[in-house]
Amino acid sequence: MNPKPWWAKVGHRSLMLLATIYCVFPIYFMLVQSLKTPKEDVFGNPFIVMDPTLENFQELFDREGEVRGFVGTALRRSYPFADWLVNTIVVFAGSVAATLVASVAAAYALGRLRPPGFRWWRRGIFAAYVIPQTLLFIPLYQVVHTLGLDDNLLALLLIYPTMALPFCVWILSAYFQLLPREIEEAALIEGASRATAFFRIILPMSRPVLVAAGIFTLGTIASDFMIASVFLLTPNNQTITAGLGTFDVALDELAAVAGVNLLAIPVVTISALLARGFVRGLTAAMIEGA
Amino acid sequence: MVSVKPAGRAGDIRLAYALLSPALLLLAVVIAYPVGWEVWTSLTDLSPLKDGSTGFVGLANYRRLLADATFWQAALVTVVYAAVTSAGKLALGLGFALLLARPFRGRALVFLAIFLPWAYPAGVSVIGWYWTLNPPTITAYAPFMGQLKYAVDGTFGIGAWAFASVMLFNIWRGSSFIAVLLLAGINAIPQELFECALLESRSAWRRFRLVTVPLLKPFLALGVFLSLTSAFADLSNVWMLTAGRIVFPVIGTHAYWLVIKAGQYGPASALSLTLVPFLLAVLLVLFRLFDPPQERSTA
Amino acid sequence: MAQVMMKDLNKKYDEVHAVKDVNLHIRDKEFIVLVGPSGCGKSTTLRMVAGLEEITAGEITIGDRVVNDLPPKDRDIAMVFQNYALYPHMTVYDNMAFGLKMRKFPKTEIAKRVGEAAEILGIQELLKRKPRQLSGGQRQRVAVGRAIVRHPQVFLFDEPLSNLDAKLRVQMRVELKRLHDRLETTAIYVTHDQVEAMTLGDRVVVMKDGWIQQVGEPLELYGRPANRFVAGFIGSPSMNFVEMTIAETNGALWADTPGIRVKVPPASAARLGPYKGQRLTLGIRPEDLRVATGSDPADYSFDTVVDVVEPLGSEILLDVKAGSNVMVARVDPTVRAKLHDKMRLSLHPERVHFFDLKTELAI
Repeated sequence: MNPKPWWAKVGHRSLMLLATIYCVFPIYFMLVQSLKTPKEDVFGNPFIVMDPTLENFQELFDREGEVRGFVGTALRRSYPFADWLVNTIVVFAGSVAATLVASVAAAYALGRLRPPGFRWWRRGIFAAYVIPQTLLFIPLYQVVHTLGLDDNLLALLLIYPTMALPFCVWILSAYFQLLPREIEEAALIEGASRATAFFRIILPMSRPVLVAAGIFTLGTIASDFMIASVFLLTPNNQTITAGLGTFDVALDELAAVAGVNLLAIPVVTISALLARGFVRGLTAAMIEGA
Repeated sequence: MVSVKPAGRAGDIRLAYALLSPALLLLAVVIAYPVGWEVWTSLTDLSPLKDGSTGFVGLANYRRLLADATFWQAALVTVVYAAVTSAGKLALGLGFALLLARPFRGRALVFLAIFLPWAYPAGVSVIGWYWTLNPPTITAYAPFMGQLKYAVDGTFGIGAWAFASVMLFNIWRGSSFIAVLLLAGINAIPQELFECALLESRSAWRRFRLVTVPLLKPFLALGVFLSLTSAFADLSNVWMLTAGRIVFPVIGTHAYWLVIKAGQYGPASALSLTLVPFLLAVLLVLFRLFDPPQERSTA
Repeated sequence: MAQVMMKDLNKKYDEVHAVKDVNLHIRDKEFIVLVGPSGCGKSTTLRMVAGLEEITAGEITIGDRVVNDLPPKDRDIAMVFQNYALYPHMTVYDNMAFGLKMRKFPKTEIAKRVGEAAEILGIQELLKRKPRQLSGGQRQRVAVGRAIVRHPQVFLFDEPLSNLDAKLRVQMRVELKRLHDRLETTAIYVTHDQVEAMTLGDRVVVMKDGWIQQVGEPLELYGRPANRFVAGFIGSPSMNFVEMTIAETNGALWADTPGIRVKVPPASAARLGPYKGQRLTLGIRPEDLRVATGSDPADYSFDTVVDVVEPLGSEILLDVKAGSNVMVARVDPTVRAKLHDKMRLSLHPERVHFFDLKTELAI
């Protein structure tokens, strides 16, 4: 191939730069806001922070309701942010785990055992996406109420897995289906039972696809706002998302942005670390198989 | 002399159903039952604001819906919203993916940047967006944003700014996912294929059309579908970004409003369900494109 | 070490009857090759021995145990697959050790056996690598290594060389043969390649459409094929077949078709008696045809026209036409032949085969 002319290189670089700015700017902006003092928030340059502070983050964990400059105690609320954090971790980790277990089991059934009509089973499960969950609040509330899960984290652990499940079953079963059957058979001949072959061979082999499914699940449930707000009511039972929804814009802007970042940073870090695996898993599931 | 091994086909099928059951149970409880309830309710006049027994009204709710100008407005806005955001996401996502197709210095960093908007939890980034675009009056950039909003609303009518911000947010986040999805497809295209095509045709556009697009088809189909469903079902983003002050209702917000503010369960259910057949039809067409290929045959 | 018996073995899928009434007695230490075109049931038969396919009817015995109801892991067999089926997430060492670990061998014993196998196969340097870092030939060695570490009663090979390039295939073929001589383990080997079958097998089983066509030692199959299919399948280039009429002239039987008229060799004459006046198929291998010289008896010679010349170096393949019959002759490289040359060919009278037109059985 010919070496690229200089203008093509410059063009490519500028496009890269534009794409990066476009993608990162809103996130950068939120991060900068969260590091600002109230004074700088009002008078400073919006795009940079001159005098970074962790005050806003501290304030989230501050239950005392310390008096702040121009807002009196009367208007000041304190938030059980530590509880929210714990709740969020429980709900997120639990949902991802539950989603993966249920999807892997179903995907193994569809991709390897292939009961009659397995293609339609898989399509049927995937078709759950045409049902907008956010529109099902009332019957969902009935279900949650019947199960006695009002205002309980378990309600989210029940609902969240179904949001990512169809996609996870889809990619995992596609991957299992593309996997050469000989690999599993070799293990069976070598002395493994079906379960051993699954846990020692198939599951470890599927790591990239499991990562992809896990990241997709995390990304999906971390995006939910409505379900968390509707089903978790008592402040102590809320997740960060639900809790932040109760903040008042005018009064708590900085603390809220700090809260946003506190949730986002771990989620983004986990996703970023596994991002390559995410892409590799999607490729493996849709095309290669092995 | 017929013998059947204990772990034969029949056993496999039983095991398959056993393994499917947790997933199916979850879907039954969280999706199938609620949908069933919605279907039934859409045929009744159920409302918490009404005394007495619930009556069966047949298709009255649907008929009323079709006669309601608000419904048609919401439907139109929803279609525009879905079409514009999907087109935007696909165009940007494809662009990003193609930018990342070939190796170059710093590729990993740009990839991460492009991955961020999707990975960043939307449940909270939407709050950030809202406050960025509609800042509390005390912040330093509030006057600028205020002017922008005023200008946009002045040109396109009240609510245009809010609606535009919803679309912008949706595209911002969605293009990131589409880019990653398409990149997964591009990574699977063998480099030789590009080179082969390079010999055959010097036109980059032809190469793209003849080599890249066909191989990306399953990924594109999946991306289009997920993009459409998320747009059609979108309630939370619209609600959040407009703080419930909705000037352009989409079907999702309209149904939510009917339930929350007006207690009209029947019409709200009917409204929610109008989306489903349409999405199912789209899905049936797309399945052909992204169904996993048949198993390779063995000798 | 064990013999394998298949008795009235049948396999039926929903619509396909893949294996039909297979009866086979594989002796201890024997290397037996199942060969046939794709879809002939050879792989299915092997997979039934392995326990990977249910047996629809019949019985398989390994050693003195009926294994019909035993899961694969309890059959004391090892299998090498066409696509190697290595575990991609494990090193070569772990791949080879997996079966021993499953059977709870002590660590030192595992290390010893893997070491031995690696030495036999010349892959000691690769033990720490992952399969994707290996070439096709190396992967195949690892797959073989995984099979031999367990010292199983029977080796099963399912087209193990088909994914290798031609040169490597020949090399691995020799190595497999040497390995079998050394290990003396019963082996069942499936292939679609008749050269592999002939070179590796103590005995070869030719299959077609689920039926066994013939079982025999390689040269027996080559020299005395039981039917037209086996005759055509074994040997390359394959046997020439010409449909001819048998007629009696002056007390002798002649085979006749426009362009060719040859005498029925005395050895076959008695058996062909009943076919007098009827049509049948004459078969002659390309290597049993030669350019006629003055000393060749005219009774076994006929005129042809050269259609294609394929010089291979050690020999020349001539595609010739006799009347409307197309034949291939394998001739000496010194023969000078050009397109459209007239050429008189002579066939080897003792190596002519006759097949019934309808049953296709050898006469």
